[in-house]
Amino acid sequence: MADQAAASRPARAWARPAVGLAVVLLVALGALAAVAARGPAPASTPAERVHAIATGLRCPVCRDLSVADSPAPLAQQMRSQIAEGLAAGKSPEAIRLEFVAAYGESVLLVPARRGVGLVAWVAPALLLAGGVLAAVLAVRRWRARGAAPAASTPSAPGTSRADKVLLERALARFEEDPP
Amino acid sequence: MMTGGARTEAPPAGAAGGQGRPRRALLLGAVVAAVALAAWLLSTGLQRDPTAIRSPLLGRPAPDFALRTLDGDRTVRLGDLRGRVVVVNFWASWCAECRVEHPALSAAWNRFRDAGVMLVGVDFQDDHPSALAYLAGTGTGWPVVADPGSRTALAYGVYGIPETFVIGPDGRVTAKHVGPVTYDQLVREITRVLPEGSGRQPGAPAAGSP
Repeated sequence: MADQAAASRPARAWARPAVGLAVVLLVALGALAAVAARGPAPASTPAERVHAIATGLRCPVCRDLSVADSPAPLAQQMRSQIAEGLAAGKSPEAIRLEFVAAYGESVLLVPARRGVGLVAWVAPALLLAGGVLAAVLAVRRWRARGAAPAASTPSAPGTSRADKVLLERALARFEEDPP
Repeated sequence: MMTGGARTEAPPAGAAGGQGRPRRALLLGAVVAAVALAAWLLSTGLQRDPTAIRSPLLGRPAPDFALRTLDGDRTVRLGDLRGRVVVVNFWASWCAECRVEHPALSAAWNRFRDAGVMLVGVDFQDDHPSALAYLAGTGTGWPVVADPGSRTALAYGVYGIPETFVIGPDGRVTAKHVGPVTYDQLVREITRVLPEGSGRQPGAPAAGSP
């Protein structure tokens, strides 16, 4: 009996700190996700507001650059159009949608938060949750495997099942034919 | 004194080997499936032409514009042209490919102008004197307008010239062509939307005739 208590105690000694660490990590990740979803600090000056929208748009001419970074004249004209739109009171989303109406969704550098684009926002969180779940289940399985055979054969903790069976056979032979 | 027990025994079948085999097969199957999926995605994705971007304007009402001709003579307003087929061609004097398509545009203009088809050239990121010299040099008969700030080009989703749009009598964009357009392509796209009996040039077959 004391043997079995000894068998289970080492299995639990590291469990509580591990769970605690997992909880801390998840809370930290949740906080990070909340901050990321909120986005950067809102721009204040007109130039900053134009820049904020321009960094999210792809230059149609130099397609690996944002409209904010591209030296192409068309990008310059797009920035000018964004400034005009803001001055006229249009919302950033409305301005973005104007470009999408002309160029299609591919003009957005940041995936739209609806339709297929939603996958880009949701998938990482889902994969992380799935990974954490898989890790928890695996840990639980290892602990169960470690604890179960201790009930059948009295032996030192941490002995694998194969070793226990070998031990049982050796003991049986010993009892049949003692030296 | 212990003499026996030195025999080594193979571990029983219940140990690490047998139990893991179906699980290992499952894992292998999952890896194979994931690799196959990735390979399929790459093969279809890499074959796609990234430059063949389908215009979101197709089938939608063409963005309106009211632009002044280069010689300052008049204003061309798209709204005024409702009921006619309109071909909008974005070009510039510095654009070599635009020179390539100019004869095709000219031939289509001559063929269809009496049928009420309107051709409008929109100058794109050009300087005025160069554009005027180009028009004089090529003998461009159709109206050509300036697009200050490229606002119209942006509204039409122009990536790079030449780009040609065909707008039907109902005001909707029916075709977009990127790069130099040929005479045959123009004829096909215009006759596709030209109303029946619009008085084509003699010799040109009417739609539906054998």
